[in-house]
Amino acid sequence: MKLVLDSVALARPHWSLAASGTFGPGLHLVSGDVGSGKSTLALLMAGLSAPNRGTITREGIGQAMLSFQFPEFHVTGLTITDECRSWNLEPETTLASAGIAVPAERPVLSLSRGELKRLHLACILSRDYDLLLLDEPFSSLDCPGKEWAAHLIGRRRSGITVVFTHEQSIFPHTDRIWEIRGGVLADCGDLPGALRTWEHAPVLLRRLVAKGTIPDDLTQESIVEAACRTHE
Amino acid sequence: MIAFENVRFRALAVPSLALPAGLTTIIGPNGAGKSTFLKLCAGIAEPDDGSIIIDGQSPRKTEVGYVNEFPDRNLLFSTVHDELASPLRFRHTSCAETEREVRACAERWGIAGLLEREVRDLSGGEKCLVALATACITRPRVLVLDEYDSHLDSGRCAVAERVLRSSGADYIVRCTQQMETAANSDRLVFLEKGRVVHFGEPTTVFANLIDTPFYPLSWRCRS
Repeated sequence: MKLVLDSVALARPHWSLAASGTFGPGLHLVSGDVGSGKSTLALLMAGLSAPNRGTITREGIGQAMLSFQFPEFHVTGLTITDECRSWNLEPETTLASAGIAVPAERPVLSLSRGELKRLHLACILSRDYDLLLLDEPFSSLDCPGKEWAAHLIGRRRSGITVVFTHEQSIFPHTDRIWEIRGGVLADCGDLPGALRTWEHAPVLLRRLVAKGTIPDDLTQESIVEAACRTHE
Repeated sequence: MIAFENVRFRALAVPSLALPAGLTTIIGPNGAGKSTFLKLCAGIAEPDDGSIIIDGQSPRKTEVGYVNEFPDRNLLFSTVHDELASPLRFRHTSCAETEREVRACAERWGIAGLLEREVRDLSGGEKCLVALATACITRPRVLVLDEYDSHLDSGRCAVAERVLRSSGADYIVRCTQQMETAANSDRLVFLEKGRVVHFGEPTTVFANLIDTPFYPLSWRCRS
């Protein structure tokens, strides 16, 4: 199973994006500056947008899903109950799993943005996909919510998961890091080696790498373990 | 001082709270009432009971710049230039001065390259930057900013931090889910289930949150 970007290029009047690379099973993290084209790349990989040049090939990928960065874009139901049922989910169970304590009869857009993101993730992560593209899955979530989402995302044991994010503290178990530099998708490689070249790494990670201490993973446990190593 | 006295609004209840001038950050779980708290500070909502007074005036009689947590709810006009110019145009600022202010503000926020873009074509983070710049362009005394950083990269967060600190606003009240950002505030309010649970300087408030996911990761690593 893999998704291959072969000399993909997309040009708009104000910016451009070029991408080549192979995304195999595991969790890939894609970072980049604001406006660098992360969401556009997600759309291209999802097949919802076409490049000007190059090809995007999917091998062995059946079910695919893209989670937009704005959870409000996914809302199809008037109430929380409607929204959950549109995913064939039981509202009360879904609310409980998302940690939201509100009545299911409430209009879905009356939720706070963080609650809406939790509900959306609970719905989308209730199913399994061969290719799961998550655009900013941690935005608007509170810290326990980010840990919950990182756990749910990280426990996917099969398929290709691509997380587009500039989250700075809470990450799922990650296999490979990519970043968009100057309009070009760069492959930083597998962890932990990728941390040596990851330009968009969070400040804390950059400090650790500068001291020569490389965490094994991006999980909080790995980062804290590496930080403690420097104190030995 | 932003003074809350016996405030009740929906599920939020704040018997007494005084926010001094400076940068105050509201933190807490999703659904705790943070956005409601900010809407009250901005005068967008008024309490069912009690009062909120900013240096002797109600929020609605105070110059306030506000950013909504839903990026698309901030943008009224079709181009970035018109969006930035709108607060100046609404107060009948001359065309020449409006143009000068728009250019200067866009430079400060690092979005000069976006001025001619249509807002519908912006990325999520770019929409947040435009909303922030628009909220600040008339240099209001009070800035109320609801999770403007949820779509910003670390570099842009640092720019925002610097520009906000030099904005000249007497009061900046914001909420964030980035605890490293919250740690740089003058004081924190930790809200939970509509109640102020902790209030004070970051070291004081985070001392109460040491065993929770809200404790900043960098602080955990240095301890």
